[in-house]
Amino acid sequence: MKRRQLLAAGCACCAGVIAGRAWGQTAPDYLAPQRFQRPDLSTDEGGLWAMMDREEKALRRSPLVLRDARLTTYVQDLACRLSAGHCPDIRIFLVRTPQFNASMAPNGMLQIWTGLLLRMENEAQLAAVIGHEIGHYLQRHSVERLRDIKSRAAAGQVLALFGLAGAIGQLAVLAGSFAYSRDHEHEADRIGAYLMHRAGYPVAESAAVWSNLLDEARAREGEEPSQSSPLFATHPVPPERRDNLAQLAKLLPGGADGKDRYVEHTAHLLDEWLQDEIKRGQYAESLVLLSRRIDAGSAPDLMRYYRGEVHRLRGQAGDHDLAWNDYQAAAAGAAPPPPAFRGIGLVARQRGQKDEARHAFARYLDLAPDAPDAALIQSYITELSS
Amino acid sequence: MKNLLILTLVMLLTACGTVRKVESGANLVGERMSIKVDGNWNHLDFPGIKPAQIWTMEGVTIDELLVYSGIRDGQIMHPDSPAGEKRKDFVFRKTMQTEEIVSMLEGVLSRDGSSFKLRKLEPFPFGGRKGFRFEYERVRKIDNVQMRGVGFGAIDKDELFALVYQAPRLTFFPRHQSRIETIAKAVSIK
Amino acid sequence: MKRHLCSFVRIFRAILLPALALLASTPAYPDARNLAPGFSSLPKSAKVLIMPPDVELFSISGGGVMEPKADWTAAAHTHLHAALTGKAAELALQTQQLAEQDADELAEISALHAAVARSIAFHHMGIGSFALPTKNGMLDWSMGDAVKPVLDKSAADYALFIWMRDSYASSERKAAMIALALLGVGVGGGMQIGYASLVDLRTGQVVWFNRLARADGDLREAAPAAETVKALLDQFPNSK
Repeated sequence: MKRRQLLAAGCACCAGVIAGRAWGQTAPDYLAPQRFQRPDLSTDEGGLWAMMDREEKALRRSPLVLRDARLTTYVQDLACRLSAGHCPDIRIFLVRTPQFNASMAPNGMLQIWTGLLLRMENEAQLAAVIGHEIGHYLQRHSVERLRDIKSRAAAGQVLALFGLAGAIGQLAVLAGSFAYSRDHEHEADRIGAYLMHRAGYPVAESAAVWSNLLDEARAREGEEPSQSSPLFATHPVPPERRDNLAQLAKLLPGGADGKDRYVEHTAHLLDEWLQDEIKRGQYAESLVLLSRRIDAGSAPDLMRYYRGEVHRLRGQAGDHDLAWNDYQAAAAGAAPPPPAFRGIGLVARQRGQKDEARHAFARYLDLAPDAPDAALIQSYITELSS
Repeated sequence: MKNLLILTLVMLLTACGTVRKVESGANLVGERMSIKVDGNWNHLDFPGIKPAQIWTMEGVTIDELLVYSGIRDGQIMHPDSPAGEKRKDFVFRKTMQTEEIVSMLEGVLSRDGSSFKLRKLEPFPFGGRKGFRFEYERVRKIDNVQMRGVGFGAIDKDELFALVYQAPRLTFFPRHQSRIETIAKAVSIK
Repeated sequence: MKRHLCSFVRIFRAILLPALALLASTPAYPDARNLAPGFSSLPKSAKVLIMPPDVELFSISGGGVMEPKADWTAAAHTHLHAALTGKAAELALQTQQLAEQDADELAEISALHAAVARSIAFHHMGIGSFALPTKNGMLDWSMGDAVKPVLDKSAADYALFIWMRDSYASSERKAAMIALALLGVGVGGGMQIGYASLVDLRTGQVVWFNRLARADGDLREAAPAAETVKALLDQFPNSK
């Protein structure tokens, strides 16, 4: 709180100003700061910046970064339109990791994980996430966080003298993995909403992002969603955030969601992202995600096939029947993924339906003769024929 | 910074770990599986490895052979793995089909954030039983090393027996692959 | 007993690590451990490619938070470079630096080397005994023809890799240390951890390796940095 007053008092060269502090009462009106200069090497911000430069170098060389030029350019353009004049300082890295995460470092490096891209239903939702991260960046939350942690750690040490557990606190803290405070998250949400509205996107889509995530997290039985889900790497999501954003959406109406464009740029990567998703083994969460996409009619054959896979792999009572239905629906669709037939074969085989299994496996090998498991499936056909 | 944490973690974990040589010839692992080696292997014991064993020729950050012997129905794979946030348990079931066992191993090998791509899966005799063999590619998350791997397994009397070997795709995997194939072919299960 | 030990380690991690580092403060290894078998010297005028050193310096705040210090890191790079140049001149070796964009292309090999170096640092020169019996106490690691692209790019005979992480207690931290010490609690003041590795580019063999893990050393100023580099390059082969 103190810092914001200080900033509002007139340090216009180094901070943005947000008018209207009460949630949902007035529409945010945001004046972004000027582009940042590289801070002096001797300052804490300079240290953080330089360390992030080195992280970025490592990231640039990582085989886990997507090399899809068309998608990267598309996301880069989107970030530019949301960046309130900071476009030249922002660099996008799309990283293949199945968790929902995006983070922006003080040096302008913006990382988005494929687990997040998988969960975006349209361009507006991605704009919401990017806008939010740009909000953290424009208000320099990382540096505040580092300073805050330092002072807390010092305070903690005094207390710790009287109890040995956790006496020395952590040996080391990585800047990028701080969890932002609630205040920071609020601020970034408001700025993000403003930025996306200005760029022509419906703010209601940002509420949808969190709403969808909460649904997934709630699927894990008996646990507090915002704490436990591995989805929430650096972004704890209490339900209030969704509600607050829904309120803001009423104050900032209008916009187009850009669904077709988003689908067009990502459709060819869905298969790989979905494979990564189900490897997580978080079946309850995956089912919520897949069911939502099926209901929304987006890539239904592919989504149905993967939902079939989740049911088959989970293998609880009734799952094989559900898997069967999904595989059959996928196989009957306009663009049946070849492994849908494999799925039918595997369930049929487990049920002892030999003819059906053999027929489905043969169809699979017809459509995908170079599949990695072709030899295994061929052996099943042989075994079922005897 | 990450490297410091890695080094720290490794050093601390292994303050409670041991290394010993795997003798040439037949080695009984668990109660039922015998693996014949040529004296180049070291057995590492760390918290978080159970129920597997880890053997290595070149070192824990280079190559590893995961040895699973007599995994029983309902047993959790690597329950004490120091992997930070809570993870889904991967549980072996005696009714698992080949593709389900491989899916389980895929999950185990990718739960640290590493990528996993299956390249081949085929039936293959293992320990004198009808088993399977698979090949994969993996990018290790923690240091971006690109790896190749090969695995073998079979279920016998409701227990799982498996070997999984992985090493960097440059030099190390090609150097040791045929040795692994030989070892796998010579495994015996009582 | 072992279980209790392991629980103890888990709880008192933050104290034990600096203690471990202090225990290892004078890593006095005989020659054999630093040099590959059969390797004892470099030919004069050998060409050595210096890979971009991976160095990071931190300040430890009063509360124990490690904060990256860009100016110290930049200074360390400068001093490291000067000390390496001096050493190369002393041994009459020709050195060249690898340019940043070339480093991008050679990323996979650098990542591979880093993994090998960590195994050497841990198993061959580790704190505690995690030696691999099959290596028979010898420095016996080779990346084979994986290094060929480096050779092609540089026409050098050897490549030198350096990795350092170094932390220094700020004055608040020092004050806290003293205060805690008076209450009987030991607190680490800062550590220097790193390695240096010399690779033969024709064979991929790691021909020389050294590891530092100590509570001394200072890379921020020229004179102590020279001492650090001297310690890092301990047992570096002579040239003939």
